[in-house]
Amino acid sequence: PAIPEGVPTDTKNKDGVLVDEFGLPQIPAS
Amino acid sequence: MTHWFHRNPLKATAPVSFNYYGMITGPPASKICNDLRSSRTRLLELFTDLSCNPETMKNAADLYFSLLQGFINSLGDSTQESKLRYVQSFKWTDTLQGHVPSAQQDAVFELISMGFNVALWYTKYASRLAGKEKFPESHIPKLLTPAEKGQDLEARLIDTYVIQCQAEAQEVTIARAIELKHAPGLIAALAYETASFYQRADHTLSSLEPAYSAKWRKYLHLKMCFYTAYVSPDSPADGEAYCYHGQTLLASDKCGEAIRSLQEAEKLYAEAEALCKEYGETKGPGPTAKPSGHLFFRKLGSLVKNTLDKCQRENGFIYFQKIPTEAPQLELKANYGLVEPVPFEFPPMSAHWTPEALAAFDLTKRPKDDSVKPKPEDDVKPVKEPDIKPQKDTGCSVS
Repeated sequence: PAIPEGVPTDTKNKDGVLVDEFGLPQIPAS
Repeated sequence: MTHWFHRNPLKATAPVSFNYYGMITGPPASKICNDLRSSRTRLLELFTDLSCNPETMKNAADLYFSLLQGFINSLGDSTQESKLRYVQSFKWTDTLQGHVPSAQQDAVFELISMGFNVALWYTKYASRLAGKEKFPESHIPKLLTPAEKGQDLEARLIDTYVIQCQAEAQEVTIARAIELKHAPGLIAALAYETASFYQRADHTLSSLEPAYSAKWRKYLHLKMCFYTAYVSPDSPADGEAYCYHGQTLLASDKCGEAIRSLQEAEKLYAEAEALCKEYGETKGPGPTAKPSGHLFFRKLGSLVKNTLDKCQRENGFIYFQKIPTEAPQLELKANYGLVEPVPFEFPPMSAHWTPEALAAFDLTKRPKDDSVKPKPEDDVKPVKEPDIKPQKDTGCSVS
């Protein structure tokens, strides 16, 4: 299967940064 | 086929009829036995059904496990074992041991073996969710017959499967981070941590017989190399972490160090390619993946080359920095995107298991002969697994 696309739904706050369901910051830094 | 992940074959099992003849003294018990037979058959069919999705698999597995629970725990008190635990013999093969099955007359053996296969199916489905499932290892200590060396339920194999799942789930996160153009520092750190997972998985298998573990270990080793870990100047390391580390250095105007890092990446990428070839030539269980043919692999090669060219060009007319003789030590700690396994839980016992149903199993009327044991004709046939075709090769898809 390919990498899931679309907007992640499960969000949480880590170190004050909103992360997606993959644990990555929602807004890429670069 | 350019599959990215190495997969060992599914476990095969002998059919179980759950026919106990005189032992069944009432319809509730008869219904449970019929349901057990049909739900087990259904679950085994789903393992090779290409149209099966995780939801269907979960429903089918939950149905069978909820019924099987009555053969393991007594009603209302899960600390006491069921009177039915040892009435049925089960046969299962091991993923690394070919077609030779092991048999145990113990429902816990069935629960763990089937749970193991469900987990394997999830890894074959190759989704990120699969990597998060954890094997039902908490039941293993309950087995009266401990697993022997090289069998699936042995600690080293279970540990390797679990670590590999975590590493592969993290690979998907890396691919996603690349696709979304996250910071090179984040990608380098994730690649470094993933390489450490593969190194641990490879190390866990190191004391097993090479005859059946060599191929799997080659795979783990090449993935370790691809995602890197620069342990010592002589050790093979990769591409990925150095490459993205190089990009981070360039962004901080450390062009000389970036060039050295990328030179290391170039060298190690070539080593990873050589290891892919060795893996392909090693005999062992499971179909052979072809990671070096995957776009995700090839893209790294051109990324390293292009980034190195850019750094050398810019150093030639902007920075004029000295290139260090030693490659920088990678000390990368990922703060984001790390995978945590989700605890696995078996479903509760089926509502069909009432005191009346249990009472309708009369062990005193159990057949004296071995009719509940698998007959010779119940030989374990190997599972014919469908070949799951990879989807569009975007270079970041890891199928």
